[in-house]
Parts: sequence; C-alpha cells; structure tokens
Amino acid sequence: MLKEVESTEFNELVGNGLVLVDFFSTTCGPCKMLAFVLNDVEKALGDKVTILKLDFDKNKELVDQYEVKGYPTLILLKDGQEVKRMQGLQQKPAIIKMIEENL
Amino acid sequence: MSVEYKKIEHWIPLQKESEEKMLAEFESGNYTVENPLVKTNVYLINPLSAVVCFKTEEETAVTIRVRGKTKAADIVHTFPKAKTHVLPVLGLYANYNNTVEITPYRGNTTTIHIEIGDVCDHSVVEYIQTTPEYFEDNIMFLTPAGSEKSIGVDFAGDIRWHLTALCVFDVKRLRNGNLLIGTDRLIKLPYYMSGLYEMSPVGKIYKEFRVPGGYHHDQFEMPDGNLLCLTEDLTSDTVEDMCILLDRNTGEILKTWDYKKFLTPGEGKGLSYTDEDWFHNNAVWYDANTNSLTFSGRHIDSMVNIDFDSGELNWIIGDPETWPEHMQKYFFKPVGNNFEWQYEQHANLITPNGDVMCFDNHHNSTKVEEKKVPAYNNFSRGVRYKINTKDMTIEQVWQYGKDRGAEFFSPYICNVEYYNEGHYLVHSGGIAYDKDGIPSEALGPFAIQTGGYQQAITVEVVNNTKMYELKTNSNFYRAEKMKLYVEGTNLELGEGKILGSMGVTKEFDTEIPAEACGEMLPEDCNARIEDEMDKFTFFCRFMKGDLAMMLLEQGDEVHRYYIPTTAKPATAMCCGSFLDTDDRNTRTGVNKSGLKGTYDVRVIINDKKYETGIQIEC
Repeated sequence: MLKEVESTEFNELVGNGLVLVDFFSTTCGPCKMLAFVLNDVEKALGDKVTILKLDFDKNKELVDQYEVKGYPTLILLKDGQEVKRMQGLQQKPAIIKMIEENL
Repeated sequence: MSVEYKKIEHWIPLQKESEEKMLAEFESGNYTVENPLVKTNVYLINPLSAVVCFKTEEETAVTIRVRGKTKAADIVHTFPKAKTHVLPVLGLYANYNNTVEITPYRGNTTTIHIEIGDVCDHSVVEYIQTTPEYFEDNIMFLTPAGSEKSIGVDFAGDIRWHLTALCVFDVKRLRNGNLLIGTDRLIKLPYYMSGLYEMSPVGKIYKEFRVPGGYHHDQFEMPDGNLLCLTEDLTSDTVEDMCILLDRNTGEILKTWDYKKFLTPGEGKGLSYTDEDWFHNNAVWYDANTNSLTFSGRHIDSMVNIDFDSGELNWIIGDPETWPEHMQKYFFKPVGNNFEWQYEQHANLITPNGDVMCFDNHHNSTKVEEKKVPAYNNFSRGVRYKINTKDMTIEQVWQYGKDRGAEFFSPYICNVEYYNEGHYLVHSGGIAYDKDGIPSEALGPFAIQTGGYQQAITVEVVNNTKMYELKTNSNFYRAEKMKLYVEGTNLELGEGKILGSMGVTKEFDTEIPAEACGEMLPEDCNARIEDEMDKFTFFCRFMKGDLAMMLLEQGDEVHRYYIPTTAKPATAMCCGSFLDTDDRNTRTGVNKSGLKGTYDVRVIINDKKYETGIQIEC
C-alpha cells in the first residue's frame, strides 16, 4: 500500500508491521522524484511494506515527533519503532535494500 | 536554437598545436642568441611565462635572468648545454615591460623585453612580511578555494606565476621537477575533477591521469614515482572515502583502498558529518618507515593510519569521544602538558622521526553539539604530535596559531608543511568574516554570498620565530613554497598524454512519466552544453523545486540523469570554485564511458519532455 495520509490515519497505520514514512514537500524537486521512486518500490515489494506519505508542511506535530530536519526524509518503522532513516533523494535499490534488511 | 552548444578541446592537443606552431616558426627563421624568437604563454594557461628559441653554433649552456623589480627579485636559471635552445622563461610580471637577459656560457648577454598585459589581479595580496635573504627566489604557490585561480607570490608580494586554467586543490612538486595538480575538468559538483595534471611550471601538460571516481583534495608521489590519488566510487552512496595508487607511466590503477573496509560509517561522527560525506578525506601521506598510509578525515575529526599492504587499521589520532568501545584500542592517551586534540584537521603529514603534523582547523572544538565553540572564540593552528604506538600515548610537541585566536581561524581547507626541525609552514587559507566583520564559520564561498569577506594568512616559522607572513583577501586551498625552476631543461617538447579512464556516470533508474511535448527547452532555462572528448556538461536554469531530468536517447536506449534543483546545505566546500552565485543554475556532468553512438539530449521539467536540438557523439 502507498498512500498520502494525515496524522489521524497515520497513527492508525503506523504500529502495524513494516511502515516506510516519506516526509515530503510539494515545493521540493527531490521529493517529486522520490514519489516516482516509491511507486516503483511499491510495485516491487507489494504487501511487504506500507508506504505512507506525509506532507512536511501540513503535519508539523509528526515532523517534531520524529525530529525530521528536512525533506525528503524516509523513516522505516517496524511495529511503530524507528529502525532506519534516510535523508535526501534515494534510488530504488537502496530503499529496497533497507526494507529487505528489516523484513 | 534555445540550447547553446560549445565544443571544448582538451588542453593537450591545443598545447601541441601551439607548440608546433612556435617550433615551425623557429625552424623557418634564423634565430640566434642575439635575435631569439620570443613567444609568450605558448602553453595557453600560464600568461606570466614565455619561451625563447634560438640556435648556437656550439653546444653551450645558457643562463636566463628575469630581471626583478629589485635586484633581489631576479629569477635566474642556467639550462644544460645544447645547440638548439627552447627555453622556458618563468616569473614574468603582469602589466609590466619585463627585462630578460640571455647569457651563453662565457658569452655576451643579450637583453630582450617581454611586455605582459594585465593578466592577473594583484590586489589579492594584502601584505607580505619577510626578507629576500630569508625567502630568496622561492615562490609561494597558492591554489584556489573559490573564484581566484592559482598564483605564485615572491618575497616582495608580486605575483610571478599564474594559471588561467582553473586547476584546483593541491599543487605539489614531483621529484622530476614537474608539478602535480588537480585538473580543471569538473566531472561532478561540487569539486570532483577528472584527475590530475603533471605539468611543467611553464604550463605544459605532460600527462593527464584520469580517474574513474574523480580526484579531490590531495595526491602524493610514492618513492617509486607512482601516485596516490584521493577519489571515491561515484556510483556508490558515499563520497571522499577512497584512495588509489596510479601507475606513473600508464595511469592504470594498481591498488585501491576503500575506507569502509577498515572503518564503519557513522562511528566517531564529528559535527559536520553527513551520511554521504561520512569521512571527508582531505589528505593522504605515505610513510616509508612504517609502510603505512595516513588519511585525514575531517568529518570524523581524525587522522587514520593503515598498513599499506594489508589495509588493516593501525591507529587513529583524534578525540575518542563518540567512538564506540570496540574502537577505543586504536586511540592514543594524551601525556605531557598543554595537550589538545585536533578537530576537522587538514593536510596530515609524518615527519622524518615519525611525528604527526596537521593543520588543526579546530572547527567546533568538539565532537558534541552542546560543547560547540563559535568562530569568534575559536582558533586554528599547526600542530605536531609525538606518538608512541607501543604504549599508545600521544604528546603535543609544537603548535603555532592558537595565540592568534579567531583572526587565524579557518573552518575549512589549509595546510602545514615540514621543511626541517623547527622550520614549518602554517597556511590558514579559509578565514571568513560575516558582513559585520565578526569571525565566521561560514565556508569561504558562502561567507561571500551572505555579504561577508575572506582572507588567507600564510606563515613560516623557524624555531618559533616568524620569518614570513603573507595575507590575501581571498581564500586559498593550500600554500606550497617552491622555486620556479629546477635543475635541468624545465621543458620537454612533444604531445602530452591522456591516461587512464573516466568512470560511468551514475544514472537514475526510475522513469518519470512525462509527455514528449515536441517543444524546445524554454529560452529562460539559459541552457548550454559543453562537449569534450570524454565527457559533456549540461548547464540549465530551473525554478527551485522543479522536477528535472536530462535524458540521452538513442532509439529505445535511454539514459536518465536526475538534476537536483533544490540547494542542499553544505557542511563542506573545500573548493567553491565551481559554485554558481545563482543557485537556480544547475550543472550536470556526464562521462562518455559506457555510452556509444549518437544520443539526442532531451530534458524533463515536471511533466513535460523538451527537445534541446543537440546530439552528443560518444
């Protein structure tokens, strides 16, 4: 699953299994590119991971909660606990590797 | 056409053409010592040079004297005996009618005049304090950190050497008298260059050593003449964490050290650490006594020594704070008085007795955010440590610069040199002040962009007495004291060689579903392509936040190169020479390695694919 969420839905989904959170901004070129990359990641991994996209500017509480300093930032959560973080634009193989190491 | 196309020739064939033209003119005339052929800037990149050509009936040695503005500033060299003389003239003044004397052995002196125009900016030198008796006919070579190009300054503060090619990072003298310096061919921002040039001080490039991962920061000539070169794997996710050994004759890579094999990224983080630039290697030194390599890692505040053959970690000099327990055995325990660790150091070297020196930038003065010291309370220094690798103790045995406080503080770049016991150079090349004149930790180019200004101060001390101080109003990466001439001919004729290979440029494997609109790239992109024999560069202006990608298309074959349009904050910028003052302007380099045939260049901006009308031959 890949979907853009806001805090309520995020909090419902985040505690279950492997969740990749993408803190993005609509004004950022690398974030736009990462959106296409995450589409490809979702196609490659299917149900193995839930990908949740959070608008950096609309979700300040979560930005503070996860101490996100900039965008794009990817945080991999396992049962709600952070296991890995990547900052900046990443390519598909690096993201898939990070997820598969934590399956 | 909305996209400008420019073919850029490599310097080596251009220099060959210029040299052949000079030699043809020489052969077609009757040039004698009384009537020599005089050509300025024959090699196109050193405007403060000339070549004089003439023949003598007998084999004879010839002395060239470039008359200084004072007698002490004369630069003199005697060339080996010959009948055909093609002699480089070095150390000419800009904006000056130079007097040059040519004297055959036991012969009469011929005086010629060489007028040189306003080819370099003298105002960069603020002051110099030394004596001709101390500095003699040495020249202080300063290499770029920003917009200034390389210069060489004599004891009087006059510029006597200058490269108009933007060759960057360190310039070192090789044992054969040639210079070894980074090329002026950028392959990737911010400062990854195609490799190294071996050149004569007159500007003639004998060899380009191309390096697949690009060259940055430092190089070192091994005892056998082969070359250590700092590099990286540009297809990996990290930078500035590799060293290679290059064959001096062929450019072949003989050995590679990947620092991730003896260190773990993320351990020992300093305050400038990033996941990508986790080590930030700014110096390499080979010590023959221990057959070891020492690497300076700015972003772990450490100097790291490994065995040359096995690559195994021997020791680390640095503050052990933030390093995990299992690494503590590699660190030293301070002994003696007044000991301080170095932070974000540069230019490490090993002295003949095994001591370790570096330029301690002392940036932050700590590895922990809460203890950070601001620039206006900080200092930089040259420092020398004595280490005992048996009991793992370290003692600080010398320093220079701390007493000067913030006026000598450089948060980046700089170097020290060891000349002899007690005789050192300390170059604080990255001093910056903010717009209010307060010492700043902004890295040079960024200080300028925010209204501040830069300085560099180069000092030589002998037994703790200052013998030399040069101050410039620009940052300079390193300072190296050398003579212009070395024993011998100082110029070999014939075409230079381009050795080694370029790496394959990292592509982006995700496709952007953009519509081919059939339109040319908009004029306001101000796009241009500079095409070279082995790479090309695409320059284009985008709006911040645009999604941008350059495509090379040949039938169904597509190569994708993502173009970042959002400026990233930089924690390191050791050479800002290629930074654009307008951060909407992008620069995307692609090596031709791995590409074959003719490619159409197209560009995606957001959801549209545009034409450039340019084809690239690979």
